[in-house]
Amino acid sequence: MVSEKVADRARRGAEAATGRKGAPEIDISGVAEGVTHGHAKKGAKTVFDLEGLTVRYGGKPAVKDVSLGIHENEITALIGPSGCGKSTLIRCLNRMNDLIPSASVEGHCLYHGHDLYGPDVDPVEVRKRIGMVFQKPNPFPKSIFDNVAFGPRVLGLSDVRERVERALRSAALWDEVKDRLDENAYGMSGGQQQRLCIARCIAVDPDVILMDEPCSALDPISTGRIEDLMLELKEQYSIVIVTHNMQQAARVSNRTAFLIVELDAHEDNRWGQLVEYDETDKIFTNPSDSRTEDYVTGKVG
Amino acid sequence: MPEQTRLHYQEELAALESRALGGLDLVVQSLDRTLEAVEHQDIELSEIVIADDDRIDGRYLEVHQQILTLLATQAPVATDLRLISALLHVMHSIERMGDQCVNISKVIPLTGHEAPVRGEMVDRILLMGKQGHSMLTQAKKAFEGRDVELARDLVRQDDLIDNLNRECFQIAVQVGEDQDTREWAMTMMLVARALERIGDNAVDIGEQVAFVVTGLFREFEDASHPGQAPLPST
Repeated sequence: MVSEKVADRARRGAEAATGRKGAPEIDISGVAEGVTHGHAKKGAKTVFDLEGLTVRYGGKPAVKDVSLGIHENEITALIGPSGCGKSTLIRCLNRMNDLIPSASVEGHCLYHGHDLYGPDVDPVEVRKRIGMVFQKPNPFPKSIFDNVAFGPRVLGLSDVRERVERALRSAALWDEVKDRLDENAYGMSGGQQQRLCIARCIAVDPDVILMDEPCSALDPISTGRIEDLMLELKEQYSIVIVTHNMQQAARVSNRTAFLIVELDAHEDNRWGQLVEYDETDKIFTNPSDSRTEDYVTGKVG
Repeated sequence: MPEQTRLHYQEELAALESRALGGLDLVVQSLDRTLEAVEHQDIELSEIVIADDDRIDGRYLEVHQQILTLLATQAPVATDLRLISALLHVMHSIERMGDQCVNISKVIPLTGHEAPVRGEMVDRILLMGKQGHSMLTQAKKAFEGRDVELARDLVRQDDLIDNLNRECFQIAVQVGEDQDTREWAMTMMLVARALERIGDNAVDIGEQVAFVVTGLFREFEDASHPGQAPLPST
């Protein structure tokens, strides 16, 4: 007869770890406690609350009416086909869309309860608290040290050397570069450059790290290192990641938002719309919406 | 309309399901032969059942390997993942039912050449076997049609087997003082017990149907808390 251990193995494999450490308090004076709504679970603290968020480029919507809560000290993944507006959405979270003259934002994007697009909000301060890592590693043509020290120096922060070391350690890069901090960052591998960009991001003590397809230019080993790093960093930071790699979303994120491309009746206009936002386990084992099911199983593109 | 993609993968998945559920046909065939062997105390036929169990074990290993390959190469998620998980359970149940047929076939020679047969007990055992046959056919139909109600009906069907098993037990208890008859009755209880387990395995398959459809993995009936049906109606 065939071994009965198969069933035990299946049971063990089916046990998913869901626990996580409690979210540490973030000291931002004058900022109200995060509120939960939308699909967020009761009691969980949110760092962002999007309410009816619509972004237009030149009057045409890129994403329409997105409402969701992004939770503290979690990794939130945004997935969806090309053109669904996930990059537009993540760029809203640190006002990167301000750099595009034709872009306009409607609805609310609340950060710890404060409107990120309020008249008295300084976009530079926003980007200090909410850092971003891009698809292609983009180190400055400077030394490794100067790359990480750039932010603290611009902001006039003290203890630059300690900050650089701390950031490089947090980005799991210190041991690899500590003896060549003065070398040009362009001499690093792609994976190292991306971790350098993460170190540069965390050197100014942000609250949130946004990652727009951070591993799509990296090999599987470098991707694995970045993913390990993300799982470590979420203890201290809230992370939002845009990814085309659904297995990556499944591996690292706590919650996943799925967006699709909607077309109007004449197929002249297309925009992104949120279909489903839920815990990642749920999205990848038993999604509520058939469109999510079709996308994550790869049945339709 | 969005374009359909991963067609080859979908074909592989459908072929895997067909191959796994085809294992139920093998068990039905084995069960029918086993019952015939019991009815006629046909030792040669029982030996064929034992030898043929290699086909069921082979199907189990084949499906298991295909499942590993699909998991490794296609990273299935959502309904696909639930289907594959369910097929692994189903295949395990199929392999166990094949073994139950072997268990029965192994005890047939023990009943002796001219066994002191009690007709009322054999009749019930044959009824249990027919009921098992019917449940296996129904389990396959429920799985193929993703029919949760038909799957849940297997619990009702299984109650009939359980009742017949209890009746067999009563007959065995009251079979009298004759040593040979008591030994025969005890051997037949082993047969009844194996058939009762086949009924339970068919219910297990029904539970997997509900899991594939609803995403909830609950037993239709919890043996440790009888009378409670944990799965909500769909």
